[in-house]
Amino acid sequence: MYSNSQLIEMAGQQPAPFLWLLDQFHRRDERLTPDAMRAIASGLRMPLADVYGTATFYHHLNLGNGSRSNPRVCTGPVCRLRGSEQWLADCPQAQSMACAGRCDVPVPILQGDSTHRLTDSALEAAAKGPLPVPNPGGLPECIFEHIRQPHQATYEGYTARDGFQALDAALDSGPDRVLQTLDDSGLAGRGGAGFPTGRKWRSVQEAPGTPKTIVCNADEGEPGCFKDRAILEYDPYAVLEGMILAAFASGAELGFIYLRYEYPELLTQLEEALTACRTVGLLGPANKLGSDFDIHIRRGAGAYVCGEEGSLLNSLEGKHPFPRNRPPFPVTHGYLQKPTVVNNVETLAAVPHILRHGAEWYRDLGRGDLVGTKVISVSGDVQRPGNYEVPFGFPLSELLYDWAGGPPSGSNFQAASMAGLSGGFLSANDFDVTLDEPSLRSCNSMLGAAGIIVYDDTRDMVDETRVAIEFFAEESCGKCFPCRIGSRRLRERLDAVGPDTDRDEWLDEVNDLGRVMRNLSACGLGVAASFVSDSLVRNFPDQLEQRFEAPE
Amino acid sequence: MTSPPAAGTFMLDGRQVEFREGESVLAAARRHGIDVPSLCYDDRLEAFGGCRLCAVAVKGVNGFPASCTTQAQPDMEVETRTPELDDLRRTLLAMVVSENGSERLAVDPLRGLASQELQEAVADLNPDLDRFKGATSGSSRPDDANPFILRDYDLCISCYRCVRVCAEQEGDYAITVAGRGFGTNISVEFDGHLRDSSCTFCGQCVQTCPTGALADRKAMRFAQTEEPPPLPTRKERRT
Repeated sequence: MYSNSQLIEMAGQQPAPFLWLLDQFHRRDERLTPDAMRAIASGLRMPLADVYGTATFYHHLNLGNGSRSNPRVCTGPVCRLRGSEQWLADCPQAQSMACAGRCDVPVPILQGDSTHRLTDSALEAAAKGPLPVPNPGGLPECIFEHIRQPHQATYEGYTARDGFQALDAALDSGPDRVLQTLDDSGLAGRGGAGFPTGRKWRSVQEAPGTPKTIVCNADEGEPGCFKDRAILEYDPYAVLEGMILAAFASGAELGFIYLRYEYPELLTQLEEALTACRTVGLLGPANKLGSDFDIHIRRGAGAYVCGEEGSLLNSLEGKHPFPRNRPPFPVTHGYLQKPTVVNNVETLAAVPHILRHGAEWYRDLGRGDLVGTKVISVSGDVQRPGNYEVPFGFPLSELLYDWAGGPPSGSNFQAASMAGLSGGFLSANDFDVTLDEPSLRSCNSMLGAAGIIVYDDTRDMVDETRVAIEFFAEESCGKCFPCRIGSRRLRERLDAVGPDTDRDEWLDEVNDLGRVMRNLSACGLGVAASFVSDSLVRNFPDQLEQRFEAPE
Repeated sequence: MTSPPAAGTFMLDGRQVEFREGESVLAAARRHGIDVPSLCYDDRLEAFGGCRLCAVAVKGVNGFPASCTTQAQPDMEVETRTPELDDLRRTLLAMVVSENGSERLAVDPLRGLASQELQEAVADLNPDLDRFKGATSGSSRPDDANPFILRDYDLCISCYRCVRVCAEQEGDYAITVAGRGFGTNISVEFDGHLRDSSCTFCGQCVQTCPTGALADRKAMRFAQTEEPPPLPTRKERRT
């Protein structure tokens, strides 16, 4: 067990020490004590008040009497469909956690650094989630091209096929060739924002200032999304190769994987992968790129908003994780105000495949004029939940009925959430949409990070809306007024909907709250909450009206 | 001190106006006599972009960016008042008032220099004060018995001007943002009292607070005396 001063000294030798220290002290003491916070403040020369204030922001840090090892039960939207709230109530020492990214195998319980799965019949260890099933349509894949191969998650397995061939070719042909291929491929950010990847890397390459930084955003916090977890579990080297290629193309010397707290097993696995890469000279001092580029894992501490890139960068820097005002953008003013690439796990994992097969190959994977593929997490009331890689433009109904097996026997689909929860709820009447932004935008929704939670006709969509709004209210960071106040007021309105409520006033307020949040919020969180409340009013008016009527 | 030279011109509410190097749209607008409402803005501090009342319409830009964090650019076309913006601002301000209830909107001006700003915004935009009722977010600290600063956070709207002025102007870093979302509160380390923190009781936080949630206890005590004590004469001061 390390002393305070040993930990501070170790932290001083690495970048982004604050998050690392929070995690180390939290592990050592099972909670974050005032003594630890004083040590961090004096060791990192930070104001003690700020260390305290920032620590209180994160869900998983126990500052009070709780312990790091207290079980945390997922109360995300899918796990609630499986009764997790009742289990939580039955277990007094447990605390609830927001969606933990295991919606394909509910209900996860996180205890210390291990995850268990609680079902009606058993509590079992669940270190890894399920492997994606072979593509049900037999379609060519990009991200999942090799993910089902044996030992793909080991260095030997990865290189036994064509692992790091894209990197070797890039080292021969130079950074500009990499950027050109990415530009031509049309690859765009798969975390949901859809910014062209080639353009982002080129901007960092051209921006003045060093060291440049590559950040892999593995803070997958969107409820109903668990694709990044699967990619990192079964094909982690593809992500690392993508990061190394990004460093080569943009001239970066520093790399981070910002990993969400709820994926502790991945922390160990990724550290092993990084060590393997250092051993063969792919990372670390005087590596094959001719640089000192290395990758450091920083573990989040439980905050949905840290998936937003400005919040993520503030979090990495040890600042309060509020979103940043933009412009300037991270490509010029990112980590420590230096040029920074922030890419989602899936985006980075796509890069080696695209470079090996060529831009044309990737473009042709999409349907019609659309380019490439998207991994979609499907969960909820569906026969075969899981991650599916579909071409952009693929019909939603085909994914839900044919690939994912349709509704549980005896029921029918009623609704599906889009973009995790951020796109609100589509009615089953709209299931003829295709999976791409233009099609979903025309239904006042979005594809985003592409989590789809399916609800059958036994579900009450007013309740599901309340669950979703509760999440956004809980995760609202507190920076901007529209979201901070609006998400709370929406939650209260949904708690109070009933026969004693003035219907017209209720609708008027909910519509106006949504309008203000959509138009004036500082980041996507407040906008997302408005998508959810709007979708209830627009797509499920009958269920809403029923609530205002007196029970018979 | 000389002001920076004009860096160019842009269109502001249909007028061609000049802006200075690095100037925000909000700062330029106010300098040209256009009053864009805001609650989190203090021209001595780095723009924060929290309250969003200063949102404007910029031609070619989606949505309504906050004018305090938007740099003025040559050839930019900005509208500070449109029917839609007025309506969004009025609704947002009603939400802000609902945060602590409308009952305590009026506060003694002696609380602090900026203490009337929320009331002034309400008088200007005239929101419906009875909408969006719900839980209040304040967490006053009547237990903090220091003689200088009243911490009446039941009036706090989480603009963080106090936290920012403490860090950026005073360099004390005594107070911070604790918690998250609607439950956010202003705190010193470990939720303690100001006198146990690095607070120097400079009073900067009091003077920038736009709602009177932080108040100058000495000024308020002075107001409570019946008759102000006579000022000492020059002769008395010498002795």
